[in-house]
Amino acid sequence: MTKEKVIKEKWNWKKEMRLLPGYIIVMIWVLFTFLLLGWVAAASFSTTKEIFLGNALKFESGIHFENYVKAWTTSDVSTFFSNSLVYASISCVLLIAICAPAAYVLSRFDFIANKIIQSSFVSAMGVPAVMIVLPLFGLVANWNILNHTFSNRIILIFLYVGINIPYTTIFLLTFFSNLSRTFEEAAAIDGCSPMKTFWKIMLPMAQPGIITVTIFNFINVWNEYFMSLIFANSDKVRSVAVGLYSMINSMKYTGDYAGMFAAVVIVFLPTFILYLFLSEKIIAGVTGGAIKG
Amino acid sequence: MKKNKTMIIAFTAPAVLMFIIVFLYPICRTLAMSFFKIEGVTDDVSKWSFVGISNFIRLFQTKLFLTSMWNMFRIWLVGGILVMCLALLFAVIITSGIRFKSFFRAVIYMPNIVSAVALATMWLQYVYSPKFGLLKSVFATLHLDGLAKIQYLDTTNKFWALLFAYCFGMVGYHMLIFASGIERIGAEYYEAATLDGANKVRQFYYITLPLLKGVIKTNITMWSVSSVAFFVWSQLFSTVTADTATITPMVYMYLQIFGAGNSVTERNAGLGAAIGVLLSICVVIIFWVCNLALKDDDIEF
Amino acid sequence: MKKKLFCAALCASLVASMMTGCGQSSGTSSSSTEEQSQGDTQDGESAKDGGAANTTEEGKLVYWSMWEATEPQGQAISQAVEAFTADTGIEVDLQFKGRTGIREGLSPALEAGTAIDLFDEDIDRVNTTWSAYLMDLEELVKASDYESTASQGLIAACREVGGGTLKSIPYQPNVFAFFYNTEIFEAAGVTKAPATWAELLDACEKIKAAGYTPITCDDAYITSMFGFHMSRLVGEPAVEAIVKEGKWDDPAVKKTAEDYAELAAKGYFSETIEGNVWPAGQNSELALGTAAMYLNGSWLPNEVKDIATFKWGCFSYPALEGGVDGVDAANYGAQVFAINKDSKNADSAFQLIEYITKGEYDKVLSELSVGIPADTRNTQWPEMLESVKPVMESMKVRYPWAAGAEANADLTPIIKENFLKLCGGTMSAQEFVDAMASAGK
Repeated sequence: MTKEKVIKEKWNWKKEMRLLPGYIIVMIWVLFTFLLLGWVAAASFSTTKEIFLGNALKFESGIHFENYVKAWTTSDVSTFFSNSLVYASISCVLLIAICAPAAYVLSRFDFIANKIIQSSFVSAMGVPAVMIVLPLFGLVANWNILNHTFSNRIILIFLYVGINIPYTTIFLLTFFSNLSRTFEEAAAIDGCSPMKTFWKIMLPMAQPGIITVTIFNFINVWNEYFMSLIFANSDKVRSVAVGLYSMINSMKYTGDYAGMFAAVVIVFLPTFILYLFLSEKIIAGVTGGAIKG
Repeated sequence: MKKNKTMIIAFTAPAVLMFIIVFLYPICRTLAMSFFKIEGVTDDVSKWSFVGISNFIRLFQTKLFLTSMWNMFRIWLVGGILVMCLALLFAVIITSGIRFKSFFRAVIYMPNIVSAVALATMWLQYVYSPKFGLLKSVFATLHLDGLAKIQYLDTTNKFWALLFAYCFGMVGYHMLIFASGIERIGAEYYEAATLDGANKVRQFYYITLPLLKGVIKTNITMWSVSSVAFFVWSQLFSTVTADTATITPMVYMYLQIFGAGNSVTERNAGLGAAIGVLLSICVVIIFWVCNLALKDDDIEF
Repeated sequence: MKKKLFCAALCASLVASMMTGCGQSSGTSSSSTEEQSQGDTQDGESAKDGGAANTTEEGKLVYWSMWEATEPQGQAISQAVEAFTADTGIEVDLQFKGRTGIREGLSPALEAGTAIDLFDEDIDRVNTTWSAYLMDLEELVKASDYESTASQGLIAACREVGGGTLKSIPYQPNVFAFFYNTEIFEAAGVTKAPATWAELLDACEKIKAAGYTPITCDDAYITSMFGFHMSRLVGEPAVEAIVKEGKWDDPAVKKTAEDYAELAAKGYFSETIEGNVWPAGQNSELALGTAAMYLNGSWLPNEVKDIATFKWGCFSYPALEGGVDGVDAANYGAQVFAINKDSKNADSAFQLIEYITKGEYDKVLSELSVGIPADTRNTQWPEMLESVKPVMESMKVRYPWAAGAEANADLTPIIKENFLKLCGGTMSAQEFVDAMASAGK
């Protein structure tokens, strides 16, 4: 859809000139980013010695793909990847299904519990993760469910969802509160029930917010380290963050910095590809005219 | 109204229920723990000894904890202003109809997904390096010898070095939130304004900003939450042992709960819990101040 | 309205595609899960037979390890465990938790009664933080005559921190000392490793004249220099008392500050010492051959083996004139194994410990991780650590980490900041004493 639009748009010199300052500012930042991240990428193809000599960008000893080979083969990356993909996708869908309705109601209706719910959600975000995760583990570890692969997975997904509920709900609040009430009124006249109105009209209208928060949730779950480490009781259920951070750590302890950067790139790529995929959807949603209704 | 009631309950129940299951016990426990002296986080209640509010008093008498609060405040305020301004600027530019929009957006957001371990190593060993660092070589080429000589990581500059490195990674995240807010503003507002002869700057002040109040609120809340939880970057900028320039309340809490660095020091999870309580009070206060200051219920679109 | 419908459809299709996406992937992984869960149910049943759910399942050992599966120590231990199971038929559930995982997760797990038979970590942490969960190992050790081939010093250290009885078994020993580049020493004409402060100053002088940086350090280890110097002067317990009780008017503080101010003034430290964030100093100065000496643990050669090509030298922190401690005192220790006091498999757990810390697999561990062997029969140390052997073997007095300088968590960062300034030359000795006195109140 975006491509279509680009083709349709004519090259308008006047418009481009007006946007020139914007181009310049963004280009400077983008170049800066490329330089920095380019260094990380270059370091992953370099050697530890060259990194600390300051020669990471020069490739004097050639390009070292073996960093990647080493990073990929030393641990069971493919299991970790598929685990994380399952955890993150299911959690993201559940989170939207649970939080979007709650955020909508909290933003629309005044009721006694509203402020209490909002305050407790916000305060929960301020409590350090250690204080949440360790007591929970103390509880769950007693139940003997972490010893079974399947129940261990369910517990993990349940926790990923639970932990991210305050964040997702608070995030979506504003996206709903800014939507005009005229839509609901019109829908009510058409005989549409409030619940139906929400699923059919309001939810799609909050799409930029929903997709943005889904990107963040996915990345949160994908990168979540502490809880996964504490709760995942065997290599079979471990997530990519735990698997690969353990690799990053061991590369650091053994002083293999080139290998560490390669491991980092391996963790980074899937999240970035997912971001690209989802961000296209935002544009699709906007240009599809969802906003104007 | 009756319909609304069922809807309110049906819609909020799952979220509230999940919240209670996951958070209620740990939060209540943390609150209770803050009034006790306890060695380990998960120690049985029988090992707790009640100390009243002396955990809080002790915190406010400890110089290091106050330093950590001051660092956190500076990160929140200075970093917040820097990140919000840059993020808003980029969000506006990106949604202004420039070409390669998704490319620019992706690149600006990219640092946020790269593992902090790699980014911090990159800043420490490359950008700030006093031998072959990016800053050093840039300033040396420009013949700004004074700037080239600065040791960006010594005790006086380390805090700012850390803050800048952290902000670089956060701009993209907040830009994405701003951009998703701006994208919901209908193009017809801008078209009408352009027809009326309002320039870009005026459009920004009279259309974008007022309509973004809600999103600004979200951004400030999220920034506050991440400032309060500031931990990983601090650890990466001062490995093994904490540093006065980089210590934050979360790092201090960690020292109290698990002991400091490699040495086995006295542990006090009750003190850690008290820090947790203080931090979440900070977040709630900021949230409600934002809500009062940026009332947005009269703006709908 | 059409557009809305379209958008709803789009949203739905997005959700649907994600659902199917994960449906597929969970489908593929569930086949492997099934096999696993079958195995698990059997285990679960046998656990029920064994009695309460929380007690250790008899027969199968559960070992929580402080290493990462991918690092050399982890690989060596995996090999050892595999061979152990093949040899004895005892199954081992080996879980690599990593340093953070074990430090943060072990207490909650033990507190909740998780079936963990054995675990490992640093000697001090195991014996203080987790002392409530340790089994007394004296009888097991006696029965298998373990001590006859173990380092006497380390076993004694374990007894000492275990409150008189042996509750942990040391392996992967390490020692904290000055590590140096022998090529620079040779080039500068320093023939003997310094044993006294005067000799150290002399060596620094020659190294500087030869165009090298005599000493470098990183922020992570700088407090150790302070701790070692203080401990040499007044002994480690006195240092702990100063740090914990704020007795900064002690003359040893002033003396230490003056000695280090002298090093700084003479330019014996790296120019960037104040801004060196780990691993800048160790990797880009010491390992790359521009700096000569670094006070660190015996794990250092392993950490920089990808960069450093020179032959390593090692000497204990020099003795000071009129000081209490000599060169036979340092922070030396080990990782230790411990057995959960509630373990029902103590015998086989100890058998596994022996398997890892003795003979063949101790050698494998030492070789893969460039570490010191625990079995005294393994006399061949890794080449990089040859110079450490005499130092390690001369040790008599044991300091804790950083020789007591980091005993007070509230003060460590402040010592670090001011000592960095002192070494960087931006603070005088008197200013250091004053700063510490005002902070330590």
